[in-house]
Formats: sequence, structure tokens, C-alpha cells
Amino acid sequence: MTYPDPLTELSQPDAAPPRRRGLGPFGLLALIGVVVIAAIFGVALVRNSQSQPESGTAPDFSMTTFDGQPVSLSGLRGKVVVLNFWASWCGPCRDEADALEAMWRDYQDDGVVVLGVAFADLDPDSVAFMNEFGITYPNGPDTGTIISKELYHITGVPETFIIDQQGQVRQFIYSVVNEQDLRETVDSLLAEGESAS
Amino acid sequence: MRACNASSRRSLLILAFGLLILLVASLTQAQDGGAAITDDQVNAIARQMFCPVCENEPLDVCMTAACIRWREDIRGQLAAGRTESQIIADFVARYGERASATPLDPTLRGLSVYVPWLIAGALLLGGVGVFWRWRSTQRHVPTAPPADHPPVEAADEAAYRATLERDLKD
Repeated sequence: MTYPDPLTELSQPDAAPPRRRGLGPFGLLALIGVVVIAAIFGVALVRNSQSQPESGTAPDFSMTTFDGQPVSLSGLRGKVVVLNFWASWCGPCRDEADALEAMWRDYQDDGVVVLGVAFADLDPDSVAFMNEFGITYPNGPDTGTIISKELYHITGVPETFIIDQQGQVRQFIYSVVNEQDLRETVDSLLAEGESAS
Repeated sequence: MRACNASSRRSLLILAFGLLILLVASLTQAQDGGAAITDDQVNAIARQMFCPVCENEPLDVCMTAACIRWREDIRGQLAAGRTESQIIADFVARYGERASATPLDPTLRGLSVYVPWLIAGALLLGGVGVFWRWRSTQRHVPTAPPADHPPVEAADEAAYRATLERDLKD
């Protein structure tokens, strides 16, 4: 067994007092500050990283159309839904309005619903737009921008989601819809539905 | 008698003319009052709101079609006699909290107003704490004795050393 040399020990200069273990009040506050900052940035990052659903179950929502009819996405289960976000102030929305109305007129008896959601629009402007283009498919305002921003995370208009009979998002169209492509997609979904039944 | 009638008729005409001028003036003023919503008044409210489409762009400086329509809506509401807070509350009800620069919801408002101050306070306290610790460690760093002077020992330590050396020799 070895013992420390007392002389050596004595010749050492005064050692610094033992350091306190753990966090002092300042350290604790700083740590809380860092955690709060990290949490805020983390939440902001997660929110910003959310993007439009391109597959999976379409987020359910309900709204009241401009003519006062309640509509819910889950209530349209069993039908192909063409969910279109638009606004009267949106130029490209004018380009696709006729195509969407034509789709609705041609397919409404085949189990297809075109559903319009007006994004950040003034109600009188929306109604004027619908009258201008003779739009007859169900359309409603997105009160509180909950459907567009909280559920579908759209970044602008027009944006369109094609949802199948089981409520799954099958296609996300970022810009103006191409009527021919839209018809092909809807036809294939209807064919899938028929073969499944 | 005839002169008196003529005089009273003239007075009546002057009175009627004066009333007509007053009526026209008050009507003009009323019309001006309704239409005199200036851009400054609209922008005073718009700068407390955000563009519905762009990211973090105040409504008063945004030039998208959506922003222009929203500003026109603000102008219309001001002309209708609504107050600033009523107009902002209406936009929040229609388009959600994101429409307002400062959330109306008490929880969100508290977060947005107080959190930056809390963070700044925590950082300041952290900084003070770090400085404090650094100062206290600096205070305890042993200072080396000058080279031409022997290390100063306390009297009791010297006595103890002498005793110990004597014991060891024995």
C-alpha cells in the first residue's frame, strides 16, 4: 500500500476550492432559455416542413358551401373527389375554372365530386367568380384557412388533390389542372373502383 | 305698403338662398366624410396584418391581388364606421390568426409578445452567470510567487514541517 508523501503534499500550493457540482441559478436559467429557444425553433421548423399530402388518408374536414349546404369529406367516401383550392384573385384559377366545371358536369352521375374551397378570398368576390364562370359544383369558403393551411398545407392557389373512393390522396396537382390528365386519372380511379366491387 | 312687401320678399329670398347654400354645403360635407378614407388610414390597419399568400409580408406593403382586395375590404369597413379592432377581429374570424400580426388569441398573444422578452432575459441572466463564474475562477487562480523570493509559508505550516522532519530523522 502506498501513501502520499506528506512533504510533497505540503509543498503543493493551496489547491483551488472544490468546484461546485450541478447548476447554479444562472446556469439553470440559461439552460431553460436554451431549451425554450430550441423548442420554439423546433416547432417552427416542424410546421414549415409540413407539405401537401401526396398520398395516405386525405385529412377530413367539413365546411358550409356558399349556398348554405354542409359538406364533409368523409361524407363523400365511396366517390372520387377532386378537391380544388382556388381564389377569385388568382389568375391561373380562371384558366382552370372551365375544365373543372366540365369535369363536374360530365362525371357527377358517375360517382365523382368536384369540391371547391375558396382560399383567403372575400365571399362576394368568390360568388362573383362562380357566377362569371357558371360554376355549379359545391364550393365553400375556408373559414379560418384551416382546411387549406392546417390540413392540406397549401402554399398558394390553385392546388388540387384527387382523392379516391377510400379517402386516399392519389394525386396532388401543384398548378393549373390539365383537363385531359384529370380525366385520365379519374377514369382510372373509377375503373379501379369497378374492378374492386 | 308695397315697399314693405318687396322688402320682406327680398328678405325671404335671401333666407331661402342662405338655407339652400347651407343644405348643399352640409350634403357635400357628408359625402366627403363617407369617401374620405385615406390610404394612410387603411395602411395603419393593414400594417398590423399579414399577406394571406406571401410569407411574412405585411399587408400594407404587399402588392399581390389578394392584398389589394383585402386593403379595399379594410377601406370599405372603415367607411362603414367599423373600428380598427373590429376590422382586425373580422379578418381573424374569416381567415384565422395568421391574418393578424399580433394574434388575438390570448395564449398566442402572450407567447408572441412575452417569449422574445423571456428569451432575451434568460440570455442576459445566462451571460451574467457565465461572467460571474469566470470572475470567481479568476479570483481563485493561485498566483506564482516572484522568482527572487522564497515561497511564503504560514507560521504553523513551517512549524509542522519542522516537527515532521524531526520525526522522520528519528
